Amino acid sequence: MGNKQTVFTHEQLEAYQDCTFFTRKEIMRLFYRYQDLAPQLVPLDYTSCPDVKVPYELISSMPELKDNPFRQRIAQVFSEDGDGHMTLDNFLDMFSVMSEMAPRDLKAYYAFKIYDFNNDGYICAWDLEQTVTKLTRGELSAEEVSLVCEKVLDEADGDHDGRLSLEDFQNMILRAPDFLSTFHIRI
Amino acid sequence: MSAYYRNNGYEEDPDYPDYSESWNRSWGHLKTQDYTDSPDTLKNSGYPIPRSNPYSADYRTSLDYPKSLAEPDYPGSQNNPEESGTRSNPFFAGSRSSDYPTSLAEPDYVGSWSKPSHSGSSREPGYSESQRNSDFGGSRSSGNYAGSRTNPDYLDYLGEPDYPGAQGNTNHPGSRANSNHPGSRRNPEHAGSGIIPYVDVLGEPDYPGAENQPNSPNFFWEPDYPRAENSPNFWGKPDYPVTEDGRDYGSSETSEITREVLSRTSSFRPSLRHRGDGSLGIVGRENEDYPENIAMKSMNMASVPGASGNGYVNPAYVGESSPHPVYGNPPLSGCEWHKSPEGQKLIASLIPMTSRDRIKAIRNQPRTMEEKRNLRKMVDKEKSKHSHRMFELNCCAQCLSSISRAYRRSKNSLSELLDYISLWQKTLKVIGSKFGTSVLSYFNFLRWLLKFNIFSFIVTFSFIIIPQFTVAEKNTLQFTGLELLTGAGYFRDTVMYYGFYTNSTIRHGNGRASYNMQLAYIFTIGACLIICFFSLLFSMARYFRNNFINPHIYSRGIAKLIFCWDFTVTNETAVKLRQKNLSTEIRENLSEILQENVKLTLNQQLIRLSAHLAAWFVSTGVAVACCVAVYYLAENNSEFLKNHKDPGAVLLLPFIVSCINLAVPRLYSLFRLVERYEMPRHEVYTLLIRNIFLKISIIGILCYYWLNIVAQAGEECWETLIGQEIYRLLLMDFVFSLADSFLGEFLRRLIGMQFITSLGLQEFDIARNVLELIYAQTLVWIGTFFCPLLPFIQMITLFIMFYVKNISLMMNFQPPSKAWRASQMMTFFIFLLFFPSFTGVLCTLAITIWRLKPSADCGPFRGLPFFIHSIYGWIDSLSKRPSYLWVVWIYQNLIGSVHFFFILTLIVLIITYLYWQITEGRKIMIRLLHEQIINEGKDKMFLIEKLTKLQDMEKRANTSSFTQERRDVEQPGALYVKEHDAAFDLRFRRSVQEENPKA
Repeated sequence: MGNKQTVFTHEQLEAYQDCTFFTRKEIMRLFYRYQDLAPQLVPLDYTSCPDVKVPYELISSMPELKDNPFRQRIAQVFSEDGDGHMTLDNFLDMFSVMSEMAPRDLKAYYAFKIYDFNNDGYICAWDLEQTVTKLTRGELSAEEVSLVCEKVLDEADGDHDGRLSLEDFQNMILRAPDFLSTFHIRI
Repeated sequence: MSAYYRNNGYEEDPDYPDYSESWNRSWGHLKTQDYTDSPDTLKNSGYPIPRSNPYSADYRTSLDYPKSLAEPDYPGSQNNPEESGTRSNPFFAGSRSSDYPTSLAEPDYVGSWSKPSHSGSSREPGYSESQRNSDFGGSRSSGNYAGSRTNPDYLDYLGEPDYPGAQGNTNHPGSRANSNHPGSRRNPEHAGSGIIPYVDVLGEPDYPGAENQPNSPNFFWEPDYPRAENSPNFWGKPDYPVTEDGRDYGSSETSEITREVLSRTSSFRPSLRHRGDGSLGIVGRENEDYPENIAMKSMNMASVPGASGNGYVNPAYVGESSPHPVYGNPPLSGCEWHKSPEGQKLIASLIPMTSRDRIKAIRNQPRTMEEKRNLRKMVDKEKSKHSHRMFELNCCAQCLSSISRAYRRSKNSLSELLDYISLWQKTLKVIGSKFGTSVLSYFNFLRWLLKFNIFSFIVTFSFIIIPQFTVAEKNTLQFTGLELLTGAGYFRDTVMYYGFYTNSTIRHGNGRASYNMQLAYIFTIGACLIICFFSLLFSMARYFRNNFINPHIYSRGIAKLIFCWDFTVTNETAVKLRQKNLSTEIRENLSEILQENVKLTLNQQLIRLSAHLAAWFVSTGVAVACCVAVYYLAENNSEFLKNHKDPGAVLLLPFIVSCINLAVPRLYSLFRLVERYEMPRHEVYTLLIRNIFLKISIIGILCYYWLNIVAQAGEECWETLIGQEIYRLLLMDFVFSLADSFLGEFLRRLIGMQFITSLGLQEFDIARNVLELIYAQTLVWIGTFFCPLLPFIQMITLFIMFYVKNISLMMNFQPPSKAWRASQMMTFFIFLLFFPSFTGVLCTLAITIWRLKPSADCGPFRGLPFFIHSIYGWIDSLSKRPSYLWVVWIYQNLIGSVHFFFILTLIVLIITYLYWQITEGRKIMIRLLHEQIINEGKDKMFLIEKLTKLQDMEKRANTSSFTQERRDVEQPGALYVKEHDAAFDLRFRRSVQEENPKA
């Protein structure tokens, strides 16, 4: 408790609480996780909002992300400049969205961004190929991959424009009840 | 110019009433084109952007959520209220909500138009002029082709004799403003109509707010054009009247519109304030007038499952997901975002919310932390300004808000506390990281059952066991240790069993406080069961709602495989294994899709069918045989026990039962070698059904034995005997599971790893394990009446089981190879727990309480003819006391009355039927909407094509060729567009031609 006060001001903590799905304790825990990633970089005093970024290499070394095939995308999506280097805010954001409490739409929105490799606002065939390759570690042949992409587009593309928009994606996610529990990183 | 417009509109007036959406739409389209093409004003500079970006994400966002149809909060619409937009809103909203088939198309103009304008404004924040301009553009469009709408409307009003007072009001912006203030007109309407959002207004000729409308022509156009013509400082003043106008219009319409308009109006407020105009008061007041709007909106959203918070989220999504990079918003940095119109709007919509909703809305924003924090700060600031102003009026509200804040704080700390208590977070994380969500669901189920039992234990402990402790007699029996297994002997005379409880009324000291043990016993057990019933029901309903959200769930969705990567899995080997499994599964899936139409020959079908039949026959036969065996064993057991005085002999029956439970399910799972189901899911379900049939029928036969043989045999204290039997069954089951985990699974691993390596590691059989849990829980529920301490025992066994299963899982198992529908299976499990299990328990206990004679000299009900007579006696005694007559009345007329239940059943049946019909209707609606989305997609593609064509042409075009171009573009138009094209074309061409020379 005493330690908490030195890291954040009361207002800061409250703001974090209001902006994430975490309790105070979880925020502190996440902060220490963050701090542990780069102890010499991240100060233990955040009351003055220092502008610190932990580089992607360190972020992706977290056990929660280390083996995730999408770790790079996750870091890119949640980092401010899309380069994967994260501030504490980005870090909290990331785990807030990935937490159990986050609603389906929020999760779907970020999942969509994660799968949208070229950031064009749509999941196109190329994005799908990337996704499938990442998922299967290249075990499928090129034809199989393209067949899969075709099938996915076939299934999920509601407006038949040849690519998945956010709405197509959300619509599909609605039909996959497991998404809520699987798009979830425990901390 | 404006005059011409008006006239023009007037001419067209006959058309006006049948403003259908298609109309609107095509018109809007045309209109906008008009603007862009007409070289006259600076407006042009604003327009091209919007034009080019019209089919942006917003449109689709709104379409995708059916509910958003009814939902008014349109992102781009912000600017509307100020200008023409409001006027047009009615149409917009109306068309949106009232007729689906065509109207859906509209919204896209909205977002698309307004967005570019935002982007424009944010790009050049210093250039107030441009901002205005773009705002103008935005408003137009956001109101749905605002331009189109506005013009004719004015015209209508001007020329139309139907609206009396049109001339009268014209010059008094102030008066209009006044009428606005109270908000009284608006709110009631709002409240009323919010409930029936579909009642909308398309083409409704009598605008209630018509008194105000006549005003518009004067204010609208005059200040409008100047502004467009680049007079930045013109803005503040002449605009306000217009704003008021807009609002008035909005208010005159039905709720949706109102809401929409309001949200826009209010959303604009901050920017007004920015400018430092004197309008603060008005606007501020305005805002306060509509808390309901927003509240209602949020309620709407809350009521739609799975869509909570959409309303707030939408605008934000919209902002980010602009698909056209060319015109897309420049990424606003965190500190700027809240200044953008969308941000402003959001802030404004957040202000009137309760703090809880607000936090929820802020949290659900897909924005970065900094943006969210700024948003929060801004909202708080606005809020505090508000509350400052409102202080005198609303100190009550302040009080409320402080209470709510305190409540929130305490809730936070409570959740922190619960978080602290919540068991096994770390372990669960490890399990999830290695085995994924599906195996995790078993452990979650276990934990859920554990909580259930903790609760039951607390209830029974505090209301039965503690009071009994206070009057407990000395236990004279010897404790040997074997009792732990048999549950007999020493334990017979403890609080563990029914027979030990007293039937007297407990009194301590000389106080008047007394505690009737008989009533306490029956009420506590009853309350426990009722609470279990409801919590089961609610969790079942929640699962159903979350997991069967869509009526048509496609059986083989490859998309789901791809996008539902399990992010919980973080262990390296597990990830690799999972990737491998996934690729095999995808391959299987593909081959399945490719060879979908391979039909089996008749012969093969016959063979398969007979295999299924044989398997069912054998499995049912085995189950029946087991039941018969258990029954005879139980019957002979009592005689056997009379002859053998060895206390361990009682363990024979539970041992046999546990053996059956251990062996037969494994036999069943061998059947799959014969049956060969095509779908693994079918196999799982068949296996589940067979297993549950076996277990439930064994429990059923045991219950029959207990209630019909043991209870009637006239033994002393038969309730305790039953309690002991259940205790032994439970314990034996536990021992078997332990042995199975430590020996069976371990041996299986040894065999798999050392001897027959082709077998490999086994997968964790979630279904079988869950069924074991259900079986044990059923026993506990039955036994609670005879052995109130049973939940406590189950608590301990579950606790141990968790660790044992966890260790065994880590050592002996590998992650499941199939993507397992964990959440759907969980729903199924909870349903199983509810349906045969819990309802069976209720039946058993009902028979016990109503039909059986309690033993004569032990237990709280000794001496009564039936258990239920304790209640009758209580009611009798109450009826002698006049102050409790209402209880008697309730009992006699509601609980004890057949008629009441008859009527209740009837009502429930009717309601069920109605709801069923509603669901059917919704299904049709969903199908229609789905078709519509597809159509819209086609439409959109088509229009985009046209637009790009148009753009290309525009680059080359000069003013003279303008008409020709338009025709080109419109020629291949969609059917419904075409219908009205001609008329509009004419009109617009005329108007544009009129405009052009002037320019």
